[in-house]
Amino acid sequence: MAVATETKNNFLEMTGIRKSFANMTALQDVSLSVPKGEVVCIIGPSGCGKSTLLRTANWLTPADAGEVRLDGELVGAMPDMRSTSVQARSLNAARARIGMVFQQFNVWPHMNVLENVVCPQMVVAKRGRDIAEKKALAALAQVGLEDKKKDWPENLSGGQKQRLAIARVLAMDPVLMLLDEPTSALDPELVSGVLAVLKQLAEKGMTMIIVTHELGFARSVADRVVFMEGGQIIEEGSPNVILRSPSTKRLQFFLEKLNITAFKPKSES
Amino acid sequence: MKFDLTYTLDALPRLLDGSLVTLKLALLGFTFSVVLATIVTVARTVSKSQIFGAIIAVYISFIRGTPILVQIFLVYYVLPIIGLNIGPITAGIVALTLNSAAFIIEILRGGLASVSKGQFEAARSLGLSGFALWVKVILPQTFMASIPPLVNEFTQLLKATALLSTITVVELMRVSQQIYSNNYHPIEVLTGAFVMYFLMCFAVSRSASWLEATFEVKRA
Repeated sequence: MAVATETKNNFLEMTGIRKSFANMTALQDVSLSVPKGEVVCIIGPSGCGKSTLLRTANWLTPADAGEVRLDGELVGAMPDMRSTSVQARSLNAARARIGMVFQQFNVWPHMNVLENVVCPQMVVAKRGRDIAEKKALAALAQVGLEDKKKDWPENLSGGQKQRLAIARVLAMDPVLMLLDEPTSALDPELVSGVLAVLKQLAEKGMTMIIVTHELGFARSVADRVVFMEGGQIIEEGSPNVILRSPSTKRLQFFLEKLNITAFKPKSES
Repeated sequence: MKFDLTYTLDALPRLLDGSLVTLKLALLGFTFSVVLATIVTVARTVSKSQIFGAIIAVYISFIRGTPILVQIFLVYYVLPIIGLNIGPITAGIVALTLNSAAFIIEILRGGLASVSKGQFEAARSLGLSGFALWVKVILPQTFMASIPPLVNEFTQLLKATALLSTITVVELMRVSQQIYSNNYHPIEVLTGAFVMYFLMCFAVSRSASWLEATFEVKRA
């Protein structure tokens, strides 16, 4: 249902998201709204539910309760009807507009670099090969892999694989990108290349939600930092405010554990 | 008793014809069983139905727990009783297919297990689902990981075609029997058949190494 209302302030709208796994609650009634063009970084200790929240945004992990809307259109809702083929089709259409980048890259090893980027465009966006290749080359150039187009993914470094995964998503013209710890599986010297690509995207106005442990990166690109713990959003705000002077004990503790002395709280209020 | 090579050479043209039939039977049986096993593998993964899974498990253990010769005879004699009048060649191909599919289902199960969950997730997150997800992303990786055991299964199947001689399919083994029951030189004729079988299996496994080397490069 396309409700083309004025959605400037709530481009992505996640409301009342709950999710439990076998014997643990991953998300308890979390709501998150992201305006168009905003870059949100989600931080928090492992197991806090930040990846799960990201994965419910494109319904890759269906929530137990709550709903997700993108630009007013339903992505997923629970109790839902997602088993019907109409729902599946609209979900696929929504996913094609939401790019997701994974910690483990998940590039397709049986396709060369160019084909990785061309395939989803032809299959999902129904583009012809000419257009798909042109778009793929542009996306590869954007991430600095244009000279690798004939290579196989196994011959790429981790950083190059992640940039390929980003190019594969970019070629689909996403309106929103979800990044799940995009640099956590990389060797330290490969991190900067990936972060540079993401920073460039942020500057171009891409709406992004990034789960990250790179606080320095969060501070430099995020418009808003969201701190989660125990399946809840504990604190959120502009990076300068919440990373420098956290108002909750839990965030103070988290930042101290990361040894970020520069971000130590000023004093007890 | 002397080994007279002229009997082998005289038999050669007919042995070649028989080899072609053998190869055709093996290729047809293998193709059908790969198709059948692929459908079962995808259906079992997608449906998650326990009943379907149990039926497949029973089928596999029946096939693995009985001699293929008995399976061939059963198909040949039982199908006409239930009204399916098929000739020996069709019955033979059906029997080989049912037998081989059980083994290929197991092979593909292993190949599929080697495809990471992230491969599915990346495809789904890009909007691929159903047929496209399987054909473009999952099955190619499943098959590439399964090349060595699939080739092994093909040679097993090729050798098993010799058993179809017992239900009057005129393939390499039965051609040999026909020849030596006329000239009374089984050793020379069977040696010819032996070499033919070996050459076919050897060619298959050689081309398999080549296939593997070609696709190995493309694995991450």
